[in-house]
Amino acid sequence: MLKGHLDLIVLAALSTGPAHGYAVIEAIRRRSGQAFDLPEGTIYPALHRLEQAGLLSSRWVTAESGRRRRVYALTQRGQRALSEQSDVWRQFSAAIGSLLAGAGPRRKPA
Amino acid sequence: MIADYLDKLSTALSFDRSLSRCVREEVEDHLREAVAADPGADRREAEARAIARFGDPLVIAAHFVVVSLRRETRRVGATVLVAIAGIFIMMKARLAWYALIEWPLADDMRALGSAVGLIDAYAFWISLIIGLGGFAYISVATALHSQYRTQVHWFCLMCAAATAALAISIASDGVLTSLRMVGADFSAAALIPIASMAVEIVCAAALALQIRAISRRVAALKNPPPL
Repeated sequence: MLKGHLDLIVLAALSTGPAHGYAVIEAIRRRSGQAFDLPEGTIYPALHRLEQAGLLSSRWVTAESGRRRRVYALTQRGQRALSEQSDVWRQFSAAIGSLLAGAGPRRKPA
Repeated sequence: MIADYLDKLSTALSFDRSLSRCVREEVEDHLREAVAADPGADRREAEARAIARFGDPLVIAAHFVVVSLRRETRRVGATVLVAIAGIFIMMKARLAWYALIEWPLADDMRALGSAVGLIDAYAFWISLIIGLGGFAYISVATALHSQYRTQVHWFCLMCAAATAALAISIASDGVLTSLRMVGADFSAAALIPIASMAVEIVCAAALALQIRAISRRVAALKNPPPL
């Protein structure tokens, strides 16, 4: 179900502000009402890929634990991409919703 | 347990050392944070759960292949342009040197020199145009996963074509340099064109090796798993 939508999911998770990988996964889980419980390791290639595409930027910071941590943030291009992809998704979702609304159980002819 | 997992992940990512180091550090932070957030009392079990949730290192590494290839193709694209620029500078430096020490082509070599010079110029500009095209193509290529293999394949072909044209240009330069040397006494002044030719050959060879390496990686790349 998530195939092809991971980019939108990751961009949406970062729309509230910069976050590191673990926080991105937690945000996806929390904001989807636990519906999207991704294999956590798949998020990192997506984050790197989105950064290469210029949709995210990253910087290394030192966490309270003393470990180095990579924090990702949406770039302006990323915000635009999120907005565009969100519009496409809403249109798609509305179209499917309309389609399903008219697809009730078939009645037997009298 | 986490250290063992990270070692496996690093090994799986050994095709790109800098990426491997960077990912290892990120994943370690992730796993340690997941363990710290685990409500269970047993640390080993918490580590096992965090690792299980993270996934198979081989599958994760397979996802990173595309990330690595993308970075490498951009580097190769930039190398193509740097090599072409380097060769252009060598050509111009050689011509400036000939003018400076007043070393013209012998009269009986001029017709041949003009023909070879024309081949040289066309081959060089073709290589520049294809090289720029390849760099632009891979820089704007946004499709990933299964399509990316095709894109990298086309990019490699463009780089190979640019390098082939560059090789023709260098060979023509070699002929032109030889034409000047034929019949002339060997002197220290000849070292400059010889050295510049050597630099051109090294640039082209380095480029060909890089293209060969990336072509092999693309050929070895099985379809990466979809994200």
